[in-house]
Amino acid sequence: MIEVARLYRRFGAHVAVDDVSFRIDKGEVVGFLGPNGAGKTTTMRVLTGFLPATSADVLRVAGYDVLRESLEVRRHIGYLPESVPLYHELRVSEMMRFQGRLHGIPRAELKRRIPEVLERVGVLDRERQLVGKLSRGLRQRVGLAVALLPDPDVLILDEPTSGLDPLQRVEVRELIRSFAAEHTVLMSSHILAEVESVCPRVIVIAEGRIVADGSQADLVREFGGEGYVRFEAVVGPDVAAAVRLLEGLPGVTRVDERGRVGIHHSFEIRGAGDLREDVGAVAMTKGWAVRELSLAVPTLDEMFARLVLGGDGAAAPASATGVPPATAASPVAQGLELATGAAQPGAAPPPGTPGKKIIYSLNPFDQGASRDLGQPMDVGGPAPPEDEDR
Amino acid sequence: MSGALTIYRRELASLFLSPLAWILLLVALFVNGIFFIAFISNSQGNVTTSLALMLGGAYTFWAFLVFFPPLLTMRLLSEEARSGTLEYLLTAPVGDAAVVVGKFLAATSFMAILWASVLVYALAVDWLGVAPDWGSVLGGYLGAVLASGLFISIGMLASSLTATPLVAAFLAFIACLLWLILPSLGELLLIQVRSLLVHWAGGVEAAEEWIRAGLDKMNVLSHFQASFLPGVFDTGEVVFFLSWTALFVFLTTRVLEARRWRI
Repeated sequence: MIEVARLYRRFGAHVAVDDVSFRIDKGEVVGFLGPNGAGKTTTMRVLTGFLPATSADVLRVAGYDVLRESLEVRRHIGYLPESVPLYHELRVSEMMRFQGRLHGIPRAELKRRIPEVLERVGVLDRERQLVGKLSRGLRQRVGLAVALLPDPDVLILDEPTSGLDPLQRVEVRELIRSFAAEHTVLMSSHILAEVESVCPRVIVIAEGRIVADGSQADLVREFGGEGYVRFEAVVGPDVAAAVRLLEGLPGVTRVDERGRVGIHHSFEIRGAGDLREDVGAVAMTKGWAVRELSLAVPTLDEMFARLVLGGDGAAAPASATGVPPATAASPVAQGLELATGAAQPGAAPPPGTPGKKIIYSLNPFDQGASRDLGQPMDVGGPAPPEDEDR
Repeated sequence: MSGALTIYRRELASLFLSPLAWILLLVALFVNGIFFIAFISNSQGNVTTSLALMLGGAYTFWAFLVFFPPLLTMRLLSEEARSGTLEYLLTAPVGDAAVVVGKFLAATSFMAILWASVLVYALAVDWLGVAPDWGSVLGGYLGAVLASGLFISIGMLASSLTATPLVAAFLAFIACLLWLILPSLGELLLIQVRSLLVHWAGGVEAAEEWIRAGLDKMNVLSHFQASFLPGVFDTGEVVFFLSWTALFVFLTTRVLEARRWRI
């Protein structure tokens, strides 16, 4: 339905769209994701024929060449620009009739179709109202109705939910999802939640270039990286030792110190699987007062930030640089051991949890006692640690 | 063609939905009424002369022509550019020319309605028993509409150049004024320059002739007064107005097209 190959668009020296190629098949719903100024609107304007491309090998929409068969393309698309351009002095029904006439829809069909479309977007009761008197959300719906009226093959929606309150946003998203069955939809957004909830396929664009294109799950897997454990606790003055200790845990590949707030230090611990229990156990035995222990799963959001900011902005090593993991001073040598028991079926552990865990205490008064993590335990000692909220 | 017609209908409807149209009509009717009374009493009750004065003979007519078209055309394109509806129109399945022609015809139609306010007085006088020379009056009316069309097309060109309606109105006003006084301005300049040139260069007369002829081709006032005012229907004069109008409409279309390449 939409075919773009090697599309460039320059504005003077500024390259707004830089070698963009993609292909959208019939019936797909594709989200165009990128920060403001990434080139989303420009690409859409080129697709609708409002702006010509500086150069493009292929530029076809609904089977027609955008440059040579511009009128045919315009006949087959429904385009809703971000500003939702409608004539404010007209009534909703008049605006719809105007659109119908522009598209050469016969009068009889128009009479049948206008209420149908207005009903669909839920503004049938506003038919007699002036467009200028409608609220932003209703106007957005009318804009969608105008775009839908000629029953276009391709719907191009530029930021269809910008400027709406959260409730309206959900409603408009719901609407767009309902279009998916009959139309090919290309919508742009800089809001991830929106694209996440509406579009199965996402094209991420940054600085005029496509940086990722694929289904959401694929993109997260490919670019999101692994999750990490966020850990915030009072670890005492020797932060480096704490970092070393955490790094010594089996499965941990990297520990980043993320600064301190008051007496609490926060860390990001990366490694295979869900390391919360292991970290919690260390905290318990060391008597660290824990404030937060959570697993941060990568979202489209983080993937997006990483892609758009260029590289791994979120995971830049902080204080952990230079501390080699598991050296001679590894926690194992200090008496900490972490063993993994057999995986228990039926217990349904969260994915990545290696099953039952046994921790060997570091407390000298425990005399090397070990215990199953599943069992509750009193922790004595000079500084009674808080109970963890696992 | 049907696209232009659709645009035309929408534009005319929108015009009458705005207070501006009604204010302009009111002003025209009121001012024309006052001047009609003044002209009648000055011409010892000669109805046809008075009507001819109102349709191009007096300066009030040209004042209307310089002030009203810019007010109409400022909204045609620059307001649409500002509010974003231009993007809607230019991605609708109608050509740029259809958009421009539709809008042009709508504004010109409005001016035709506005000049009909003079016909109201003609009808009133006719009803009272003094029949004006209808041929002369209608000829003048046709000329007024044609001249309005020319000034509308100039205003539209100004409107297509900027996205600020106020700037568009001002630009159009200046352009219309210049267009009107260009021949006399040129004449004035010519006299000044000649006194300097005559000392150095020969063949000044030929160049002068040439410039005069050029200026004459742009002289709205003389063309209007030569043809429509005496009630002569001269196709040559109609072509004069139509061709300038067509040129400005064409230029507006090109500017609109060029806008896509620049934005």
